Amino acid sequence: MTRREWLALISATPLLNAAPDAPAAPVAISKCATYDEDVTGKLSTMFDQLGGIQRLVRNKTVTIKLNMTGAPSNKLQGMAPGRTHYNHPKVVGAVAYLLGKAGAKRIRFTESPWAWTGPLEDVMLDSGWNVRQLLSAAPGVEFENTNALCKRKKYARFKFPGTAYMYPEYVLNEAYEETDVFVSLAKLKQHADCGVTLSLKNCFGCVPASIYGDDAGIDEPNENPKSGRLAVVHQARRQPSKIAPPELHPGTSNTAGVRVSRVVADLAVVRPIHLAVIDGVESMAGGEGPWIRGVRPVTPGVLIAGMNPVCTDAVSTAVMGFNPRAAKGEAPFYRNADNTLTLAEAHGVGTTDLKRIEVRGVPIEQAMYRFVG
Amino acid sequence: MRLLPATLLCLAPLLWAAPKPADWVPVRWPWSDAKSLELLAGTPVNCLLLKSPTREFLAAAAERGVVTLTVVGPGESVPETKGDGIVLEGDFPSLPQVSDLVIQLTPRYKMKLGSDAPVIGTYQGVWPGISADDGGAKHSLPTSSAWIDTNTGFLRAVRAFGTAPVWLANRPPEKTVVSTARYLQVIAEAEISGARWVIAFDDDLAARLAKREEGALGAWKRMTALVGYYESHPEWREMRENGRLAVVQDPAKGGLLSGGILDMIAVKHTPVRPVAGSRLSADALAGATMAVNIEGDALTPEQKQVLRDFTRSGGMLLNGPPGWKDPTPPAGQITLDKSDLERLNDMWRDVNSLIGRRNMGVRLYNVASMLSNYLGSADGKSAVVHLLNYSDYPVESVTLHYVANFSRATLITPEGKQQKLEVYKTEEGWGVDIDRVVVCATIKLEQ
Repeated sequence: MTRREWLALISATPLLNAAPDAPAAPVAISKCATYDEDVTGKLSTMFDQLGGIQRLVRNKTVTIKLNMTGAPSNKLQGMAPGRTHYNHPKVVGAVAYLLGKAGAKRIRFTESPWAWTGPLEDVMLDSGWNVRQLLSAAPGVEFENTNALCKRKKYARFKFPGTAYMYPEYVLNEAYEETDVFVSLAKLKQHADCGVTLSLKNCFGCVPASIYGDDAGIDEPNENPKSGRLAVVHQARRQPSKIAPPELHPGTSNTAGVRVSRVVADLAVVRPIHLAVIDGVESMAGGEGPWIRGVRPVTPGVLIAGMNPVCTDAVSTAVMGFNPRAAKGEAPFYRNADNTLTLAEAHGVGTTDLKRIEVRGVPIEQAMYRFVG
Repeated sequence: MRLLPATLLCLAPLLWAAPKPADWVPVRWPWSDAKSLELLAGTPVNCLLLKSPTREFLAAAAERGVVTLTVVGPGESVPETKGDGIVLEGDFPSLPQVSDLVIQLTPRYKMKLGSDAPVIGTYQGVWPGISADDGGAKHSLPTSSAWIDTNTGFLRAVRAFGTAPVWLANRPPEKTVVSTARYLQVIAEAEISGARWVIAFDDDLAARLAKREEGALGAWKRMTALVGYYESHPEWREMRENGRLAVVQDPAKGGLLSGGILDMIAVKHTPVRPVAGSRLSADALAGATMAVNIEGDALTPEQKQVLRDFTRSGGMLLNGPPGWKDPTPPAGQITLDKSDLERLNDMWRDVNSLIGRRNMGVRLYNVASMLSNYLGSADGKSAVVHLLNYSDYPVESVTLHYVANFSRATLITPEGKQQKLEVYKTEEGWGVDIDRVVVCATIKLEQ
């Protein structure tokens, strides 16, 4: 992208709906052409550019929400999922190492894997990850499946402080409450329903299928869910299990791009993200997983991190060649997708205004990798 | 004709030195010129299936120590010039009377299970590979995991009934150019199941081999090298399925169908031990912790008692639904029809639920495009886990967890690799990591 094109992009950004008081925070970008490069060193530099992470994590329990969407058996062109739509294990290990080095007392990796309530380690092994290496990356590494109660005895309630878009309260695995620091470790990807899936959208995976899944119990959660989460949140075909309150405005929309984007924006409020790390070394374009028709592998060659998820996602969206403030119907928010970033911004989580976000390390125009066109 | 006795006399010493049927490595040979035998140089192939061979060809083959078998189909007469024996291939209403050595390649339902035939074989098989559906596209859901069309369940069921060498003699799909990788898969699939695929060329490969095209010769070299890999380990063929899950089934019924319960379990990477209902005994269940009795009503009171004793000694037993009749395959059919498949799916859900995430001997990770077979030696001192990758891409970072007390693990590959693997402790036993599997690999476990 030329400087002229870049200026045109950010100037064209409509700010009419922007929340002027939404906080801004710096975002660090590093180029990283392959996973064979010094991923740890680059992330370390980026964390330093953000002011360091020691104050954030020292002696704290840190929960890292991973991105392992879809079954690990579902691969694009036979490639390891970490090279296309999952986090790459090298990035995961590097983040754990750096958090441990910064003094985190416990590092808990979480995910709600597709139709699975067994150990998260099994899914990691099925994805070709070396669990033993991850365990040795830092002291106090542990893994938790959050697709149901799993290891826990009760769920945690996350009440929205004010007026939520979708649900007045979200009921999640307790791991998301019993933590001092919450990290969203995402992939740089488009999303068929929501436009992009970055650090904000990654946290949709915190929502347990036991309560919000297609086969969730009506009265009680189904602690052995075997399906995904289309019926409740995406398609409004039913309400969650009664342990969680129903949606605020039933019948308003049954469009996934409208509903999921709002849930994601709500989640960014009830379960704040302290650190967003986005793996864009290798990824896929055209959707969030191999099951989306027309997806293709891409190599953006970037790592992005920030302390504010909206700012981090806004910069990441720009790095993908999109306008982070684009309206519904504009790239990348096709298929009636509402812009999750601006929805979260309106909640006051963070700004999407690139003019207010300081980018440290590699400038956006130099890191840009167009996902479309 | 006057020359025939003399020819046979000349060949007699060679025939005496010929390999036993159990050691025959068969290929359907589409050529009749003696020069084509040059392709056998440096390969383990030692048995050719021929149509209308010439005396000159048979003599040249005998000179190389190669066994020649003439294939005769239904309605065809047995030729006078026929080499070392006859292969009767097809569904014969009645078998022709011949005094020669005869190998029968029958429909599956007519296989002489448990017989003392030198070889039992069939010409019916599915062409193995990752199943395509949805109009050719793979499954398109986040949950999709690959279904693999395979003969492994069938071959295991046949082997459960006896010790005769098993030949699978299905041909490549018609009007299809088969890639080398697919040839390697079909060869390895039979081998890891203790059987042999009767190598058969698609028309394109046969034509290119006849012209000695470099690419075709390369494919042939890889195919025969893979056969040689398995032939160099005859001890693997002697090993038996070692999984802790036993499936009690009449091989003459559902076991002869592909896509049945054995294949369903195999796709889940659960090591399974087929046990022929008629051979059900305490010994057959030794070491098993779970058993699935597919067609409970078919067992004798004595066999039912064996299962009762199994549960009393702590084994878990899952019986098929009351009244369930394991489908008997009609002539020509080798896969389940839709209604049987739907009924079997109900049972499969129960089996799946019973297995859960238990380690039934070995548990494999990151093997969605693979099938495996866990075989153990009779003395229990060693075992192998065969891995076969059906995808077009190598698989990296495979993990194997096993429960038996094997302290040494070696990765062996057809590419010639012999690598000692680091064995580490896991929650349920032991584990090893395998960096990469191209088409197939074997992990040898030893005490």
